[in-house]
Amino acid sequence: MPESVSLTIDGQEIRAPKGTMVLEAARTAGILIPHYCYHPGLPVVGSCRMCLVEIEKVPKLQPSCATPVAEGMVVRTTTPQALENRRSVLEFLLANHPLDCPVCDQAGECGLQDYYMEHGRYDARHDEDKTRRKKAVPLGPHIMLDQERCILCTRCVRFTRDITRTGELGVLSRGHRSVIDVFPGTTLDNPYSGNVADLCPVGALTDRDFRFQCRVWFLGSVPSICPGCSRGCNIEIHYNRRFDPRYHDRRVHRLKPRPNPEVNGFWICDEGRYAYRTIDAADRLKIPALRRGDGLREASWAEAIGEAAGALRGVLGGNGPGAAAVMVSPQMSNEELFLARRLFRDRLGIDRIAGRAPAAAGASGDDFLIRADKNPNTRGMDLLFPDAGDCRDLVESCAGGRIRYLHIFRHDLSRWYDPGRLAEALREVDCVVFEGSWDSPTARLADVVLPAAVYAEKEGTFVNFQGRVQRFYPAVPPPGAALTDLDILARLAAALEAGAAGSTAAGLFGEIAAHVPEFAPLTWQSLGPTGRWLANPGNDHAV
Amino acid sequence: MQGLSPSARLRIEELSARYPRKRSALIPSLQIAQEEAGYISEEIMVEIARMMELSPNEVREVVSFYSLLHQKPVGRYVIQVCTNISCQLCDAEGILRHLRRRLGIGPGETTPDMKYTLLEVECLGSCGTSPVMQINDEYHENLTPEKIDCILDGLQ
Ligand code: SF4
Ligand code: FES
Ligand code: FES
Repeated sequence: MPESVSLTIDGQEIRAPKGTMVLEAARTAGILIPHYCYHPGLPVVGSCRMCLVEIEKVPKLQPSCATPVAEGMVVRTTTPQALENRRSVLEFLLANHPLDCPVCDQAGECGLQDYYMEHGRYDARHDEDKTRRKKAVPLGPHIMLDQERCILCTRCVRFTRDITRTGELGVLSRGHRSVIDVFPGTTLDNPYSGNVADLCPVGALTDRDFRFQCRVWFLGSVPSICPGCSRGCNIEIHYNRRFDPRYHDRRVHRLKPRPNPEVNGFWICDEGRYAYRTIDAADRLKIPALRRGDGLREASWAEAIGEAAGALRGVLGGNGPGAAAVMVSPQMSNEELFLARRLFRDRLGIDRIAGRAPAAAGASGDDFLIRADKNPNTRGMDLLFPDAGDCRDLVESCAGGRIRYLHIFRHDLSRWYDPGRLAEALREVDCVVFEGSWDSPTARLADVVLPAAVYAEKEGTFVNFQGRVQRFYPAVPPPGAALTDLDILARLAAALEAGAAGSTAAGLFGEIAAHVPEFAPLTWQSLGPTGRWLANPGNDHAV
Repeated sequence: MQGLSPSARLRIEELSARYPRKRSALIPSLQIAQEEAGYISEEIMVEIARMMELSPNEVREVVSFYSLLHQKPVGRYVIQVCTNISCQLCDAEGILRHLRRRLGIGPGETTPDMKYTLLEVECLGSCGTSPVMQINDEYHENLTPEKIDCILDGLQ
């Protein structure tokens, strides 16, 4: 524990670790000091002067973002002098700022708008024309630059220099001619480029993907976990609260990073950020389907579950549990995995269970956030199914005619198994059930297709590669007739008369904690917004 | 497009070896490059960035910050007119207007014969003798339109 000091901010007694800046100490006490250039994830430059506060015994206002706390310090953030400074800073920033808020994506979450309403509110004193600069310049695949809107806080520049170390952006010229730009002939194209749109306090850097899609005040926000790789970056899902299928073609509009110092800091990668498109993708499975002859035909849940349960019951009765097999997936939540384990393994006695599959071609990681394992819950699957076999071996067993019932969760086997041989292998199985969210060659080879919700449509937990157990929440309902895997498994269990109790995620998590020692110290409530470590997470903690 | 000459490269390498961090030699290196070509092209910025272990944009930031470093070819005489506050109060606008008319170019432009480049700059640090302009490395103070004509007439 670093030494701590006590100080007073706006009359509140505050203790803060030595070295903390006044701005951060104030934030922990719920006092938000306006700021532009300061960002907790970037080096401090103290250049915008928005955060100036009064400190007793110091003659001039001090930048709270660059002033460390000291014992006995008395800070006042709302004195007439401090407020006047904010007005003046805003007046200078707005002197050349275009008033294109009506067509600016940032409107509604803009540092200039918000602080002007709080602190500015002056009558304009400028008759001069505003300076004109480049607008709507695509900087790279994801980012659009508007130089007129920029307030030169340099957050974006520091991000590319200190976080990604790619150095694409710079401040060119000086004085009122200064602009942000890339070097001629180059682009802002690195695996984390989307973060600069989040960082930019104004509408100077916006996300090309989100451009003109939805006004931000129509967006709802739900905390979640990115399912794109085993890092499990903390995110927010932003969805259209007024979604109407007659006018809108997607419910989820964007993903934003949610700070978690243990996992992703303040950032997410572009691959994860733009993967939100899969949520409302055209190839989502929405209606259960049954094989009739050569094709799949839409069916009701009762028919689909009835067919799967009937086939499974027949195989278990006729051939014994050895002829039934299950492919669980590291895409499933801990709760889903646990429910599958209870139903298939504990109740029905099936022990042919596979889980691990070969990585998709080209899957790679880096030394920052991106992991080569593109599954969010490999660690959870390994804990809940320590004996799970290799999926390839199971396909071989199918080809060898040893399997009569196969229940596939989520895997698209054609990604790593020759599609022609796969079709032959699955033809050997009397009943193939595919439970997943997207259409795929595997789904099309199944006899029963059960459409399942994606992470944004349900709640649950994943364990990331470091051993952090993290919770995600539902933002939107499953599309069409799709159900969560927990609901589907509960229905299947009921049809098999194999007991369906305890199928809420919260209840199942409690059972996991009771049965799996690594989860023992955890409770559903204790996970909080940023998760908790497993009992023995291993020594892999570093971000 | 030409890069740095071998001798310029050598001088820059020698310079940067004198500092704990190579980048400390950036400004003198840019001066060496400009001596050679008259301005600093994008190619040269990339080359120097590589030598100083910087990103090209970091070099461009410095080049674009200093009005004595040029990103485009300039004329034989670079005329920098101060239009900052003290000069402004002493009619820098009139001085600039006169130069525009006499040279037929605006700030940031070069005459077709490559003789003159006109630039508008911030305070030249000679406020006491404003209005002020600088031609290449020399200051010309207490300017009037007549004085300017006289100075320009004396240039080859
Ligand atoms: S573009 Fe945005 S983040 Fe970058 S300096 Fe300008 S205001 Fe700051
Ligand atoms: S936030 Fe402190 S100076 Fe910019
Ligand atoms: S304002 Fe012109 S020299 Fe100072």
